[in-house]
Amino acid sequence: MTMIPTGEATLGPFFPPRYVDAGANDLTQLQGRKAKGEVIEIAGCVRQEDGASLDNLVLEIWQADANGIYGHPADPRHADADPDFCGWGRAATDKAGNYAFRTVRPGAPRGRARHVNVMLMFSGLMRILKTTLFFPGEKANDADPVYAAVPAARRPLLVAREEAPGRYRFDLKLRGENETPFFDD
Amino acid sequence: MQVTIMPRDERTQPLRIVPGYPQTPPRNPKAPLVQRAPTLSELTGPVDVARRVQLLGGDIAGHGEKQAIGQLMQLRLRVVDEDGAPVGGTVVEIWQANGAGRYIHPNDDDHAPVDANFYGAARLATDDTGALELRTVKPGAYPVPTNDGWWRPPHIHFSIFGKVWLQRLVTQMYFPGEPLNGQDRILNAVPDAQARECLVARLVPPTGEPHNALVFEHRIVLRGRRATPAQP
Repeated sequence: MTMIPTGEATLGPFFPPRYVDAGANDLTQLQGRKAKGEVIEIAGCVRQEDGASLDNLVLEIWQADANGIYGHPADPRHADADPDFCGWGRAATDKAGNYAFRTVRPGAPRGRARHVNVMLMFSGLMRILKTTLFFPGEKANDADPVYAAVPAARRPLLVAREEAPGRYRFDLKLRGENETPFFDD
Repeated sequence: MQVTIMPRDERTQPLRIVPGYPQTPPRNPKAPLVQRAPTLSELTGPVDVARRVQLLGGDIAGHGEKQAIGQLMQLRLRVVDEDGAPVGGTVVEIWQANGAGRYIHPNDDDHAPVDANFYGAARLATDDTGALELRTVKPGAYPVPTNDGWWRPPHIHFSIFGKVWLQRLVTQMYFPGEPLNGQDRILNAVPDAQARECLVARLVPPTGEPHNALVFEHRIVLRGRRATPAQP
């Protein structure tokens, strides 16, 4: 039996603010227990084609723990995943289009460079937009199959900028000049 | 638990840029989307979201004397994968307008009245059969501020996590027989008629409790299917 996957639709402008729970953008602790690893910050601004920043856009991230392990049964190493790290977080942009996450530096999963999966949901996005954040100065980036799938000229747009030790900036542009590469999954 | 994800038939999914929906052109990529083969990173996902966020009750139509205004309804939702296999234990976020077509949200400045007894949002997990139930009132239609006659038909929003990152789904459910369905720019952004039909709930005869509510059934199909584990 094959069923048609349900059609996506926009999040619309009325996603309940209470769903962006207090602390949902802080992955460094779970139920009061600290995750293992180096704490980092990822922040940025989200803009549309004309450069206008977008208010109340919802971002979610998914990443491996500090050892590059996913706390999910499909990861052969999941029994060793950090029990105090969920790997998932949610943030919404403020009036100036800014978002921020606190997390731990992901380890490199097998066969991949260290990275963070990012998805965007918003009014006007009929489908979830998916991209991937890579870290600067990582030798493993060039061999990463997701990084390498992007045309070379656009790859730098997937690399966060380190503004201070452990503080990364990852701006997102939905369309137009410096448009963030998004993936067709 | 491994999930395999196959490409979807594009006609079952909405256009990204929708005629008459002015927020779509400036917010959707111009460059072709990058094709990639899924890796473990996209084929895993947060299975313990409920440890990070709080679940909120399955009754948003009011309590005791303080009942929401509108047509009481029971939503019976079932979440399955492309094989029809239940997706149990997944978090589903639900939100909708009240019976008059007004959301509980600072961005909704429509004239329609707020209903103090209507909660507007629920966050639930499916049971082992992929099912969950919500007691609510049927949402009202409302005008979109494009000021060109576009009204959204009654609909309910869902955000569903699934078991892996690529199953994450944001969608909307519609009601059968609504005259506004035929003109809605969001519903009709899905090119395939059969796929659109799958976005419309089914009215079923009320059986069992509650006796005083319309019962609507709706099935949501997440992408993917469970892989057969490789033999050692």
